[in-house]
Amino acid sequence: MRWLTLFMVVALVGILVLPSGAQQKLKAGFIYVGPIGDYGWTHAHDVGRKKAMAKFPWLETIYTESVPEGQVEPFIDKMIQQGARVIFTTSFGFMDGTLAAAKRYPNIIFAHASGFKRNPNMATYMADFYQVYYLNGLMAGALTKSNKVAYVGAFPIPEVKRHLGAFALGVRAVNPRATIHVRWIMEWFSPTAAKEATEALIAEGADVFAFTEDSPTVVQVAAKRNLPSFAHYSPMLKFAPQHVVSGQLVHWDTIYIDFLGKVYSGRYNAENLSNVDYWWLLAEKAVELGGDMGVPVTPAWRARLQAVTVNTPGLGRMNVYDLVMRRLEQMSRKPVAFDPFTGPIRDRKGVLRVPAGKTMTVGELTSMEWAAPGIVGPWPREP
Amino acid sequence: MPEWLLTTVSRAVAVSTPLLWAALGEIYAERTGVVNLGVEGMMILGAFFAFAVAQTSGNPVLGLSAAAVVGGTAALLHAFVAVTLRANQYVSGLALAMLGLGLSGVLGRGYEGTPLVNTLPEISGLTYLGFALAVLLWFVLYHTRAGIVIRSTGESPAAADALGVNVYLVRYLAVVFGGLLAGVAGGFLSVAYRPSWTEGMTAGLGWIAIAIAIFSAWDPLRAVWGALLFGALFHLSFRLQALVAPEALRMLPFAFTILVLAVTARGRRGQGVPEALGLPYTSGEK
Repeated sequence: MRWLTLFMVVALVGILVLPSGAQQKLKAGFIYVGPIGDYGWTHAHDVGRKKAMAKFPWLETIYTESVPEGQVEPFIDKMIQQGARVIFTTSFGFMDGTLAAAKRYPNIIFAHASGFKRNPNMATYMADFYQVYYLNGLMAGALTKSNKVAYVGAFPIPEVKRHLGAFALGVRAVNPRATIHVRWIMEWFSPTAAKEATEALIAEGADVFAFTEDSPTVVQVAAKRNLPSFAHYSPMLKFAPQHVVSGQLVHWDTIYIDFLGKVYSGRYNAENLSNVDYWWLLAEKAVELGGDMGVPVTPAWRARLQAVTVNTPGLGRMNVYDLVMRRLEQMSRKPVAFDPFTGPIRDRKGVLRVPAGKTMTVGELTSMEWAAPGIVGPWPREP
Repeated sequence: MPEWLLTTVSRAVAVSTPLLWAALGEIYAERTGVVNLGVEGMMILGAFFAFAVAQTSGNPVLGLSAAAVVGGTAALLHAFVAVTLRANQYVSGLALAMLGLGLSGVLGRGYEGTPLVNTLPEISGLTYLGFALAVLLWFVLYHTRAGIVIRSTGESPAAADALGVNVYLVRYLAVVFGGLLAGVAGGFLSVAYRPSWTEGMTAGLGWIAIAIAIFSAWDPLRAVWGALLFGALFHLSFRLQALVAPEALRMLPFAFTILVLAVTARGRRGQGVPEALGLPYTSGEK
């Protein structure tokens, strides 16, 4: 009898304690297009993964780096064999492979970054910079003396064209005489090409620099010539503390934490993701203005920006620093009180692209091919 | 001199420095009959160690020395596999390229995203030394006994062997010398050209150096022109974007440099491929 009582007690304790003690784990797999040491895109995703790990004790993660874009499926297969229940694929080129895998594994949850194809078990997500580029543009327009602002672009695709367009709209909002000179390097990562493109732009008289490339090269080259620049993607202020004015920073962790939290709680499952599309911006804190975390405008540049005063429709006269802060505040609200792509906007050929009173939709933004006014340089597939 | 010409020349000199150092090393290795496709790997290892040592010690020249040692050591591995084990040189070289990229990536974790305090100027002693080295290596190759030994080892190792040349030793020395130079070339990238470390930062320059070595017909002086031509066109490919489609321009330096070198190499002294290039040699066998 005593043994039976003891057995009952042990069993009861076991039933009550063990399941809550040994929490159910969730394993997520991350597929990266580049090396996590690139100090750009892949690095930023990996920082997000680590932050999600730190936040959720129940989360386990695995990852694979430098996966070729056309070969994502076998890597997905392997991760599922290793027990991953959620798969993140983090490059546009993984889109079709991810969709094919999602159809083959209807019980696994997929999320694809920067694409537009979804499935009941496949969501899409993107932390986009266009608002931040606009703010950078406002500052660049105030700082240029030669009225030539430089932009080193990776590929002439809608994503980069949208960012460059927002940047150009910002420059022109402050300085209507300025032009934005673009050079394409046709690589996401190529310090050599980024360096020579910057040198070419310097030789042509440009004196403020922004870019899309996964290394601090442009910032370093500009600083060597004592010229200001805007950092891209990762904190690059330390590469040129005197010359980085501001920049764009990403927080993929906000999306990863939100998504994984909802998967764990059961709100997201393998049947209800068809309409789950994260298009997260300043208001969602997925992106941040600055050359380093928590430094929206490098203090050394504040006075230079305050010295330039402009008249802005709807806001009146104010200095550019205040204008940047005002626009930042307006775009950090939900719903936003300002959007850079609000009409009327004509492209550089004079064609009306956004009618007065209209704002571009996400679909229009992600397929944008036209060049904003003031942009000088080649523009492949210009409509 | 007009501004654009001046800029193009100075950019050509800067870009040509790493290409020339790596190409000169590859020329000597291939002249003794050993192809080393691992230039990219040796360069990136050099880039990483140069950065790590320069950052820790605060001395970029010390960093470059470390890069040379590391490049030479990596090449020693290739020499052992290719010369002593007589394995396929192409496979071994490719493996070295991948090993270098992977190893430097793993070792470099934690070094990315940090700037280098003490750097070297972009056009420095290393640049002038590169040009001087090209002349010296050209002279040695064509006008000294050592040059005859090197060339005959690559043309006909059996004949050289019969004349008392230690084929293995010559090949080992040339391959390690090539690695040394490739290491310095990589080091130049991370302490002078763009002073920071990023995984994969050589971004294909090692392969261009191999192309320059081959299409200069294994002549150190012609490699100088190849490297300068590539550098000039590389700069112009961004300069001319306002006039020509960027997609086409980006191919220009690659296609045009190879074309020019290949065309002008015809009918020149010693233009042929070293007869025994890529072939393992076994003393005493036919």
